Amino acid sequence: MSVAEIEATEIQLEAPSGLWRDAWHRLIRNPGAILGFIFVGTFVFAAVFAPLLAPYDPKEQHLELIANGCCPGPSSEHWFGVDLLGRDVFSRILYGARYSLVIAVVSVSIGFSIGLLLGAAAGYVGGVVDSAIMRVMDVMLAIPGLLLAIAIVAALGPGLKQIMIAVGVANIPIFARLVRGSILSQRESDYVLAARAVGVRRPSILFAHVLPNAISPVIVTATLAMATAIIDVAGLGFLGLGFPDPETPEWGSMLTEVNEYLQTAPFLAIIPGLAIVVAVLGFNLIGDGLREALDPKLRGR
Amino acid sequence: MLRFIVRRLLLLVPILVGLSILVFFWVRALPGSPADSILGERATPELVKEYNERFGLDDPVYVQYWKYVKTTATFDFGVSSATHRYVTDEIKERFPATVELAIGAMIFAVSFGIPLGFFAAKRYGSAFDHASLFLSLIGVSIPVFFLAILLKYVFAVRLGWLPSVGRVSVELEAEHPTNFYILDSILTRDWALFKDAVEHLILPAIALGSIPLAIISRITRASVLDVQNEDYVRTARAKGLPPRTVDRRHVLRNAMLPISTIIGLQTGLLLSGAILTETVFAWPGMGSWLRDAIFNRDYAVLQGGILFLALVFVLVNLIVDISYAFINPKIRYS
Repeated sequence: MSVAEIEATEIQLEAPSGLWRDAWHRLIRNPGAILGFIFVGTFVFAAVFAPLLAPYDPKEQHLELIANGCCPGPSSEHWFGVDLLGRDVFSRILYGARYSLVIAVVSVSIGFSIGLLLGAAAGYVGGVVDSAIMRVMDVMLAIPGLLLAIAIVAALGPGLKQIMIAVGVANIPIFARLVRGSILSQRESDYVLAARAVGVRRPSILFAHVLPNAISPVIVTATLAMATAIIDVAGLGFLGLGFPDPETPEWGSMLTEVNEYLQTAPFLAIIPGLAIVVAVLGFNLIGDGLREALDPKLRGR
Repeated sequence: MLRFIVRRLLLLVPILVGLSILVFFWVRALPGSPADSILGERATPELVKEYNERFGLDDPVYVQYWKYVKTTATFDFGVSSATHRYVTDEIKERFPATVELAIGAMIFAVSFGIPLGFFAAKRYGSAFDHASLFLSLIGVSIPVFFLAILLKYVFAVRLGWLPSVGRVSVELEAEHPTNFYILDSILTRDWALFKDAVEHLILPAIALGSIPLAIISRITRASVLDVQNEDYVRTARAKGLPPRTVDRRHVLRNAMLPISTIIGLQTGLLLSGAILTETVFAWPGMGSWLRDAIFNRDYAVLQGGILFLALVFVLVNLIVDISYAFINPKIRYS
């Protein structure tokens, strides 16, 4: 084997094919991202298997448990203690994961898909379409995210679907802007010109060539948006704008009534709070890891 | 430069028109009706009809919109149905409270965030650097209201060092010429009020400042890392300037550009995004006011308050944009 041949095989061994595999390899070597996967894995596991894992019904009240004052702390029967109405906090945390996960996934999907379409249309078509879409996005961006979500929930009323829509709509302009910017920078590149020169039609240039190349910052943002969505949902719940049924085991609303009980039962605030932090931190760690993995220039920044 | 400012101001016009339309229809989409919320249990069909006629609520939508634009343009947002006071008067009391809180939060975030990011960059790759990165990640991952409750638990409930409710102790009744309590206390030389107001500000300001702190320290770190390897820094070092002078005059000064932009943008967010912090600490600012308005269905307050906050947010961002062009000699907008 000649030296050149050896070098060629080495290069082949070193270089996994494609951006995504390359990024994946970098991601799983990043300790922060691995911690993120563990956190998010725990969160998703708790959400999916809540009915199997939870020792009690999250809505079942046992007032006899708080007969001697509020509230008995963690014990072997109730790992995280019981709340003001004698409900098992551990079970409520597990079920709460379901609400956070489902709302975050659906609302980010709403923001992502509509934002992607609008941003792609604005960036690729340009002209009047671009101006019209982006001016509407500017107006939406003029109201800060949480305030916009609060305003939408106030109009639609509390409830699962309403929260998803509110948080989702607040996400649309963020994705639209990002996709548009990313596409604008791709549109002028040589491979688009080449595709156009050989007669590829516009929609297929957009979907087959431009979008896949413009998508990596969008995926990073989507991961980080999951984190923000979980925080926003908890914030709405905390303000009492979450669910019409106060029994609903939602993490943010679990923190609403604990103010007066901080002296006697601080764990009622600390446990749901930590649950939110773990889920949010997990997505933030993965998002940061993805950003570094997809753009090696940023490493360590 | 003038052309740039004029152009940015002109760009505001469509945003303001869009905002006014959005808020107008949003208020009409709210459940219930203004007549019901004002009249409450006294509402009979006749009274509701009279009310609607008096306030033109049966007019066609475009007539109502035009009327709304005309009154809003003179900063007349109507009367609160909960307190029967002018919304503008309430804003005059509430907004200074929020501004005071936001300034306090920003002072906290800047005075800890910049040194944290700066020293992390100086010790790039060290344990301190990793700790600062992790800390800033925690900062953006912890919900503001949870941090607020934790602070309240530790410093107010457990240690009893600081108050955790309101802007000032109830027994201290003082003059409030500007409604900025700390400024008021300095103007009237009321030092007891000054101490009390500052003490009340500390916990809410730390809670609200945690996110900007995390973001500022991250940006500072990245920005210092960028600037550190520039030719002019190397030149300054080579000509034998003491390291401190190089840091202050060459590194930090150039690194401040992106940092100051972030500070400006975050201030805009704080002014409009203090709802959660204000709720935990019963801080009588814009946020807790709007929250109550949602539950009371106080239409005038919601319409005026949201529009006002969005306006502040847009204006702050505009000022940030323009001052960026001023600070950065490299960017001369055409």
